[in-house]
Amino acid sequence: MAIGIVVCLKQIPNPDLQFQVAPDGHDIKRESLNYRINGADEYALEEAVRLKEKNGGRVVALTAGPKRAEQMLREALAKGADEAVRVAYEDPAGFDVGKIARILAAAVKTLPHDLVLTGVQSDDVTNSATGGLIAGILGIPHASVVTKVVVQGGGLEVTTELEGGLNRVYALSLPALLTIQFGANVPRYAPLPAIMKAARAPIKELTPAALGVPSWDALAGPYTFKVRRLSPPPAKGRAEMLSGKADDQARRLVQMLREKGFVRA
Amino acid sequence: MGRDVLVVAEHLEGTLAPSTIELIAKGRDLAAQSGGSPKAVVLGHGVSTVAESIAGYGLEVLHVDDPAFEAYTADGYGQVLQRLIETDAPRLVLLVHSAQGYDLAPALAARANLPLATNCTDLRLEGQALVVTRRLFNEKVQAEFEFASDRPCVATVRPGSAKPAEPSAGGKVVPVAAAIDPSTVRARFLRLERPSVEDIDIAAADVVVSAGRGIQKKENLALVEEFAKRLGGVVGASRPLTDLEWLPKTRQVGQSGKTVRPKLYIACGISGAMQHVAGMKDSGLIIAINTDPSAPIFEVAHVGIVGNVLEILPLILKALPS
Repeated sequence: MAIGIVVCLKQIPNPDLQFQVAPDGHDIKRESLNYRINGADEYALEEAVRLKEKNGGRVVALTAGPKRAEQMLREALAKGADEAVRVAYEDPAGFDVGKIARILAAAVKTLPHDLVLTGVQSDDVTNSATGGLIAGILGIPHASVVTKVVVQGGGLEVTTELEGGLNRVYALSLPALLTIQFGANVPRYAPLPAIMKAARAPIKELTPAALGVPSWDALAGPYTFKVRRLSPPPAKGRAEMLSGKADDQARRLVQMLREKGFVRA
Repeated sequence: MGRDVLVVAEHLEGTLAPSTIELIAKGRDLAAQSGGSPKAVVLGHGVSTVAESIAGYGLEVLHVDDPAFEAYTADGYGQVLQRLIETDAPRLVLLVHSAQGYDLAPALAARANLPLATNCTDLRLEGQALVVTRRLFNEKVQAEFEFASDRPCVATVRPGSAKPAEPSAGGKVVPVAAAIDPSTVRARFLRLERPSVEDIDIAAADVVVSAGRGIQKKENLALVEEFAKRLGGVVGASRPLTDLEWLPKTRQVGQSGKTVRPKLYIACGISGAMQHVAGMKDSGLIIAINTDPSAPIFEVAHVGIVGNVLEILPLILKALPS
């Protein structure tokens, strides 16, 4: 059974970086950040490509974000997506998840979508909300934190992860949306020829007009969203930091472990 | 828009999720701010003991008992909650930011066309505005977001961000009829699966030494294993390592793995994402070693070393009796 799959991807600043709040307090300083595909989305993309390879069909990689996100879409093409679409939503932060989800849902509607995949969360804002919102807006069933997908008799059997290592298994009719968990598969590396080819591939751009609205604001939800302010997290300051050179740090740590009775003999 | 705060209870196999008790405390605070009452809603089948136990925290519990709620489904829960929100018109609907909570909350908010804030560490009401505190960028930035609306807001609250409610008098259970059409449940529950345990139980150890991405290569696990051995402890891991299958799933510390409270917890090259911290923050003594001074693990650690574990661990091993 060939399936039309849309996989929603997000480009995020590398989470291992240090971040500074911009002077106006409404975003972080973004000038010197490097960006990458969101961690969980790598698994969503891989799952999409595997489902296509196994069942036939087509994978469209979709994102809403600034021009820089084209780099991520090209990676997705190189890893097996058949088409790349960027919704030209230029807000670099995209903190209003309800708005982003409404924009993505409007874009998904223009694409064949038996199955929509997202990552379980984005590592920059960790809402875990985009997938469920899109499903609700499109009126299709969904499952979250999915670790296994099996296409079965015109529908899906999916394993979802709960806290503490428990799983719940559901049967879903199609069309459906799944949010894919870290570790659901082993994402592939793109082969060099595919990277070369993807570098020249066209990327479709969707403007508000293409989705039949005068502006992105026309798709906003039933509320007014405002960023009040960003700040460094309140310093808990309870960690005693062992500073100095590595051998000093190691020596002091061992001494402390000894004093607290964790070292035998 | 009303003033009440509706707390959606989470339970599994007849047991109330402890995070729901935190949520009740938060719901009570917020209801005081809006001038309304906190209420809880329990959806299930044959779980009146769960409903009764929530009433023990002194609030009204709407109890929907129907075979359709034998297991959680987003469609079933969503339908009933949407109807309840329409009839009861609460100010706020609160859920735990758990796998079930963030499965349900967005779908509910979308189907009922309501504002949604998720993974909040704090919330307050200011007139028509809900102001939520969030953590962004790998816990390294805090943010306040405002949602102003004349519609009820749906919000999920991060586990561990409020103290559990204390029991109090005055609660009661009110049965509410469900009337779910099973054919509208499109994601059908099939079964619950448990991991087969064929490993040591890291939750039973006094000393846990955990490895994270900072160890870089599987071969470097040997350093962590040796460290744990010298302290008479066991090796744990953060999620990325068990995803890579460098260690079995049974060693994973965190929300989707084990919750541990050892006397000593040492985090080696673990940045401290929420999902990990949730599983170890109550340990007796927490020591963290990480190259990034802004890593959130240092917020929960009692003792911190900014440095490369691959450099520090061999020096520690040299100084420890074997």
